[in-house]
Amino acid sequence: MSIPDPSRDPKIARMSRRGFFAKLAQGGIIAAVGLGAAAIAAAKSPRDRRDRQRYVWQIDPNKCTQCGLCRTSCVLKESAAKCVQDLAICGYCRICFGYLKPDMASATPEPGVANEMCPANAIVRKFVEPPYYEYTINERACVGCALCVDGCRRFGNGSLYLQIRHDRCLNCNECSIAAACPADAIARRPADDPYIIKSRMPERPEKT
Amino acid sequence: MTGIMRKLTSAFVLMTVLAAAGLAWGDFKFPPPDFTTGYQRAPVTTPAARAHWQELLDVALMTAAMGLSAWIAFRSRRRWMMTALSLASLAYFGFWRAGCICPIGAIQNVAQGIFDPGFTVPISMLAFFVLPLVAALFFGRIFCSGVCWLGAAQDFVLIRPVRLPMWLQRALGVIPWLYLAVSVLLAATGTMYLICRYDPFVPFFRMTGPWTMLAAGAAMLGLSTFVGRPYCRFLCPYGAILGLISRVSFKGVTITPAECINCNQCREACPFGAIEPSNTVKGAPK
Repeated sequence: MSIPDPSRDPKIARMSRRGFFAKLAQGGIIAAVGLGAAAIAAAKSPRDRRDRQRYVWQIDPNKCTQCGLCRTSCVLKESAAKCVQDLAICGYCRICFGYLKPDMASATPEPGVANEMCPANAIVRKFVEPPYYEYTINERACVGCALCVDGCRRFGNGSLYLQIRHDRCLNCNECSIAAACPADAIARRPADDPYIIKSRMPERPEKT
Repeated sequence: MTGIMRKLTSAFVLMTVLAAAGLAWGDFKFPPPDFTTGYQRAPVTTPAARAHWQELLDVALMTAAMGLSAWIAFRSRRRWMMTALSLASLAYFGFWRAGCICPIGAIQNVAQGIFDPGFTVPISMLAFFVLPLVAALFFGRIFCSGVCWLGAAQDFVLIRPVRLPMWLQRALGVIPWLYLAVSVLLAATGTMYLICRYDPFVPFFRMTGPWTMLAAGAAMLGLSTFVGRPYCRFLCPYGAILGLISRVSFKGVTITPAECINCNQCREACPFGAIEPSNTVKGAPK
């Protein structure tokens, strides 16, 4: 490295070997960038509008196994995965197994913090009309543990399920919940359609 | 007694069969009720993701920052300006944007986009990947010097730089290429984004993360107090590509030719071992 190169002396050679290869490489890189851009433009322009879109992460509720890792794996202190309540497919059960612990639900149908499934007291129960009760999620309290999701899927309609909330999600390039998920339930979705709403899925007709 | 039991059993079997049939038809265990009191069901709320224009704003900001970096490196030549620029970049891209869109991670998106036909790379991500490379072809590594928030984080904790022997620098300089190869392989196969998962600085930008990564980041920052930019020089896979391109860049930073007296003090002072004797450097004063 420290030995002087005689060919670099301007009296001997106008362009050094190194300079020649540098010019060659410059031309090569410009050509490669140009060709690459042209190839990408040709491959993706008219057929696929999604090349201009971004992707966001989302949980597929049909693949989710309610393992509870969404609560702990997110890089955020408060996980971006929260429970949502799809009221269009909710049965409005008086005894909700997403709301009450199974044994408590059979013994004491009336609510009480000790009997509730949610560790964060995030499910709000409201009387609608006999015999129906509305259950909604207090999203600020929800920790994304999926305990209610499990109860609702086992015994009810499955109207409670986890979704990544995009006002909270940092949209990491490598979602750490997706990396931890045992069921591969978290995948990228186009950012213009960022949620999976169960009642809008074809096999679940919406009831209004 | 047995008659009642049999009736109950058959009724149970019938109910089970009906229930199974109901499930098979796609009905609900508890059909959503029709309300008589005019109760309206609220739809599922869907808070929007970050808007596309915000991503484009990031691209515009980074382009502007690189332009400024090039101007500082070649025209103004003032160290405090470069420091101020990298501080601003650290504040915005590092802490405000939580380190997540970055050219280093974009390597993996581009790799997956090339090898996986179903995966498209968003235009902003592509811009983040390509712009510093194009800039490096013209001006050298101006992205690293003034814009890169990972580099800025290391620069700000550098207290007492130690000059590493050349053989060690050469040996450790191989690691980025290996890291690049492995991470491109893992991204192209859709296995994982290695660079992002083991980014030592991103937990600090987010102020949270797994304790192992926080510990690794703390170790890296501790190392940065006496070794100049250890991540950039001995790990960063994007820096490896940039270094290759900058070797053939049109312009390179030189010692102010008119003022240089060949004292070689700068060479001793450079914390990165980047200044070589003038007779070996391309474009150096003759």
